[in-house]
Amino acid sequence: MEYILECRGIFKSFGGVQALKGVDFTLKPGEVHALVGENGAGKSTLIKIISGSLLPDRGDIFYMGQPVRIDSPRKAQDMGISTVYQEPLVYGELSVLENIFLGREIRTPRGNIDWKKEEEKAQSLFTSLGLPYHFLREPMRELSVGLQQLVLIAKALVYEAKVIIFDEPTAILTEHETERLFSIIQKLRDRGVGIIYISHRLEEIFRIANRVTVMRDGEVKGEFPIEAVDRAKIVELMAGKLLVEEIARKRSRGEEPLLSVRGLTKKPRFFDISFDLFPGEILGFFGLVGSGRTDVAQSIFGLLAPEDGAIIFNGHRVRFASPEEAMRAGIAYLPEDRKVQGLFPIQSVAYNISVTMLRELSRRFGIVDIQKEQGLADRYVRELNIKTPSLYTRVYSLSGGNQQKVVLAKWLSVTPKLLILDEPTRGIDVASKSEIHNLIAQLADRGLGVMLISSELPEILKMSDRVIVMHEGRITGVFEGQEKTAENIIRAATGERMVVSGGVGA
Amino acid sequence: MTNTGLRRILQRREFTVFGLILALVILFSLTTERFMSVSNLSNLLLQLAGTAISAIGMTMVIITGGIDVSVGSALGMASVVAGKLLMGGYPPILVLLASLGVGLLIGLFNGMLIAWGNIPPIIATLGMMSILRSLMYQLLGGRWISGIPPAIRIIGLGKWLGIPISMWVTAFLIGFFTYFLSSRPLGRAIYAVGNNPEAARISGIDLRRTTLFVYAVLGALVGFAGLVYVARTGIVQTNTGSGFELEVIAAVVLGGTSILGGRGTVIGSLLGAFLVGIIKNGMVLLNVPALSEGLVIGVLIILSVMIDVIRVRGERI
Repeated sequence: MEYILECRGIFKSFGGVQALKGVDFTLKPGEVHALVGENGAGKSTLIKIISGSLLPDRGDIFYMGQPVRIDSPRKAQDMGISTVYQEPLVYGELSVLENIFLGREIRTPRGNIDWKKEEEKAQSLFTSLGLPYHFLREPMRELSVGLQQLVLIAKALVYEAKVIIFDEPTAILTEHETERLFSIIQKLRDRGVGIIYISHRLEEIFRIANRVTVMRDGEVKGEFPIEAVDRAKIVELMAGKLLVEEIARKRSRGEEPLLSVRGLTKKPRFFDISFDLFPGEILGFFGLVGSGRTDVAQSIFGLLAPEDGAIIFNGHRVRFASPEEAMRAGIAYLPEDRKVQGLFPIQSVAYNISVTMLRELSRRFGIVDIQKEQGLADRYVRELNIKTPSLYTRVYSLSGGNQQKVVLAKWLSVTPKLLILDEPTRGIDVASKSEIHNLIAQLADRGLGVMLISSELPEILKMSDRVIVMHEGRITGVFEGQEKTAENIIRAATGERMVVSGGVGA
Repeated sequence: MTNTGLRRILQRREFTVFGLILALVILFSLTTERFMSVSNLSNLLLQLAGTAISAIGMTMVIITGGIDVSVGSALGMASVVAGKLLMGGYPPILVLLASLGVGLLIGLFNGMLIAWGNIPPIIATLGMMSILRSLMYQLLGGRWISGIPPAIRIIGLGKWLGIPISMWVTAFLIGFFTYFLSSRPLGRAIYAVGNNPEAARISGIDLRRTTLFVYAVLGALVGFAGLVYVARTGIVQTNTGSGFELEVIAAVVLGGTSILGGRGTVIGSLLGAFLVGIIKNGMVLLNVPALSEGLVIGVLIILSVMIDVIRVRGERI
């Protein structure tokens, strides 16, 4: 048996979108096999299939040489495939010991939980991993995130895992915790455990992986022993030959910056952020989740208080204490998760569009002028081409694309000067996506400044006049013109500090 | 270790509640003559038993993150059934099984509405509360049941070694469920579900069956409490058990079970039941108008949940 896990020709689609197109993936015992790729490349779908959360549409999975059907997470664990998720799945109030053994209790002959045996087993496990174990009886919530993760690794060993999947394990760890994790991964590997390691940090992969597989657009673009590949090659495969046509624009960028940010800092989320944004410009913000893009946007909009630095908006130094102040000054913010933060789903289209300006719409005694509300809503429904049966249809019954247009309409109705868009087309069908893109371009042509945050490289390349790349809370690249390429952007986003073209902003 | 162990005991809610109980006992024995009398104390224990028995089940329900506000009506319903059967001359063992059965059925029904119907617990049990109360009116036709045969009343009034038999049963159930919740895999699964349902699901715990289980056990315990009630008071009215849910929930949350789920003990709930019982009893002896009783209990519930919420918020941020 050469491979402990073998996936052959895996296909998976979600509602017409092909997430995996015939993926092959193998894992040997005692190796660390890294899986890399941009967001949407299909990594998480593949992992979910291996860990039993999803079933493939087609394709075969062999485990220890035998064909298997992994139809639940429990079954995967029972077989010996464990997953350590980015955010540890823990029971905060229960003891560390219970977090390890829950669902797999060691029992006494009478069926009681044998705490003593469990503790002994945990102690010997922790000792073999070189970890302290004095906290076994403490509640899990009292441990740091890094320690919680190590406890979950120990748990995988209790399940006698032969395959352990690490899904971006270092994203929330400190440097010290990361080092400890690596030494444990090496120990596991030496014991013959097969490890699938997903990370966006290429330097980590070169440190601990034996093999690397690069995915893009639901396909495997290359698989190499780590010695046979370098960083540039991996980045090239991740980026591919992205043929993105830039959206047609009038290029009516103003002379004076609309927004200037200088040295904005909020530890540990972002550090020393400086940039200018001009009227009529679309400024793209690219970076991995957790790179600080959203935090910067929320600080400008008054949702987070920065510790240091200056924000100059429209010629005045500002520091908004609340979103309401920012809105009054002329900033609109379209949040990342429209369901939670942007919409009132069981209210009508008209209500959702007009809710931010109820005060302006009200007549004497604060009663809302229904006719004005209708007029306003009607105008935006036509202007943005929102497909809805009527103004009084409840928003949740619209498609994702049309919901997003309603959110956009809501913010446009306050006639902002600066529009901050956080992942404006996430989870939206292709047609509405390009409509929203056209809309954003039109708005910029009319002189609005647009700050566009996106994790989708094609979107960033298509829409932005300039691109700012963030990595772990810092700006690692600013690109425009010829330098605005997929490869440059990915290199900066994976932590390589780039020569910044055109200086910071102006 | 012993030092932190001691600190941990001192920090526990059970310890605070125990301290409060002691303080109240001292206060009431100094300010009233009758509080420390044998008849008052045994009366107190008799009244407490039903609340404490139901609080055991409620503790498990609240640990899973749920709630059951129908226990007052369920207690009434079980009393009606028990009362009718007793008046019909059926043997006590059959009456016992019938009261347990009625409670169990109500609990199973609640559990199914919540686990399979995906109805929020507060709404499912609120509906059940109203339905059961209405059924009680129909069954009783506005009359009382009284003159319960004395044979059964030993469950409610009898004593052994000076302690009411119902209190012995309570002690046994507290012991059993403490063991169950701390040492049996299913007992621990109840905590897991309340702590992190997603993680529990991935660990292979059946969320629906666990939910059904806790509501069913609560139902059966309330059914038994209904029989104890009939045996103690000897009468059943249409409003029997109304307000009982508040007392049970108060006992549980005062005893340190987190209304947010995942944390709590039946010992704590027993202490909580004592606290509520002593406050009620003492207020009567101090001639405080009965209406203020609700005020005090309401304030205590809100305070203890507030402490709980602040504790959790403090940790997560």
